[in-house]
Amino acid sequence: MAASPLLNQLMAALRCLPGVGPKSAQRMALHLLERDRDGAGRLVETLRAALEGIGHCRQCRDLSETEICAFCANPRRDRTSLCVLETPADVLAVEQSTGFQGLYFVLMGHLSPLDGIGPAELGLETLEARLDGGEVREIILATNPTVEGEATAYYIAELARERGIRATRIAHGVPLGGELEYVDSGTLAHAFAGRREVS
Amino acid sequence: MRVLLQPAFLLHRRPYRDSSLLLEAFTQEHGRLGLVARGASSPRSRLKGLLQPFAPLLLSWTGAGELATLTGAEDAGRPVSLPPHRVLSGLYVNELLVRLLPRLDPQPGLFAVYRELLAALATAPGEEPPLRRFEKRLLEDLGYGLTLDRESVSGAPIVAEERYCYVLDRGPLAADRAAAGVPISGRGLLALRDGTLTDPAVLGEVKRLIRAALAEQLRGRALKTRELYRVKRETSPTLPPPARESER
Repeated sequence: MAASPLLNQLMAALRCLPGVGPKSAQRMALHLLERDRDGAGRLVETLRAALEGIGHCRQCRDLSETEICAFCANPRRDRTSLCVLETPADVLAVEQSTGFQGLYFVLMGHLSPLDGIGPAELGLETLEARLDGGEVREIILATNPTVEGEATAYYIAELARERGIRATRIAHGVPLGGELEYVDSGTLAHAFAGRREVS
Repeated sequence: MRVLLQPAFLLHRRPYRDSSLLLEAFTQEHGRLGLVARGASSPRSRLKGLLQPFAPLLLSWTGAGELATLTGAEDAGRPVSLPPHRVLSGLYVNELLVRLLPRLDPQPGLFAVYRELLAALATAPGEEPPLRRFEKRLLEDLGYGLTLDRESVSGAPIVAEERYCYVLDRGPLAADRAAAGVPISGRGLLALRDGTLTDPAVLGEVKRLIRAALAEQLRGRALKTRELYRVKRETSPTLPPPARESER
């Protein structure tokens, strides 16, 4: 089918979304044009507004519409504990499942020297300034349990230790409801090394 | 070409498309090669935990050329778990290999030495001696080994008490014969030759020599991990001894 140039352009643009290949892009484009032109209009406006309106919180680097995000501005949250995470999606995960009441700091990635991502790219200067501020007493390192995540956690733990701030790392181990037999050896080794007293 | 259960380590991995990974692997019989691991970063992938740097793996792949397709991965024995303060050194070595090893050039000897290096980084009290030994071996296997046993002009054996200047494309020259080059003691040259790097003063000299030799191979492009070391040292002048790890 020789589609119009604009339609081709639309399908190519839709493919920037995760999980969208040529076939789904075509379905989406045709759906928007044939059946839901209003929806397409709303999508355009919302997308534009979101692009213009959403930036990064000056304190925690999480996505935010305001200069200081809702977490950082909330006076009821515990300002003495700071949880360091890799992505905004991690903030949502922790917020939905842990009941953590402190503040967050989002790195937007992890140290990855071979990809050119160093401390500056992760905003660690902002984090250092935050630690120097004196409010934080415990820093919870919740970077991913990958080699790069561990390197990042260690690097930040060093920054905390120099300032006499307690640095803790989230535990890794066997998933709840999991079976030891099917857990990969790295995870199982970690779980063993990090075993705890039965209380 | 189909390769089954080849001993390998991952040097690097990066996300590719939606749910795949691009891997840079160092294999025993095929040297360094690029692999696509399809679906390996999807939430349900069994491979995600397995495909980590520093873990001994058995990789299977198909395809010729520089980028093959991963068809299977299994762990090969107990994972080497580098303590957090050694991970940076591990990443440094991986960067060296990615930058210096040509792809698909089998280096079974170097592979064995890499495996030993990881074990040493995981357990040895000092990280510098094993790192220097590995770097020396890497230079040798690349065809740019250092001359460490005799003076280049006279051919006389190196004397521990003498001073030398190491000129990179010639070798060690007696210090009074050369103005340029990396200054180093005879003791340093012999210690590097024998791999007995215990004296801190010697370690410093050897490090400067090896760094100069590697810089030549890297053709002036800086190593990213080394930048990380530098920043780290500036921000933390006193690195705590490893023993404090257990307090965390």
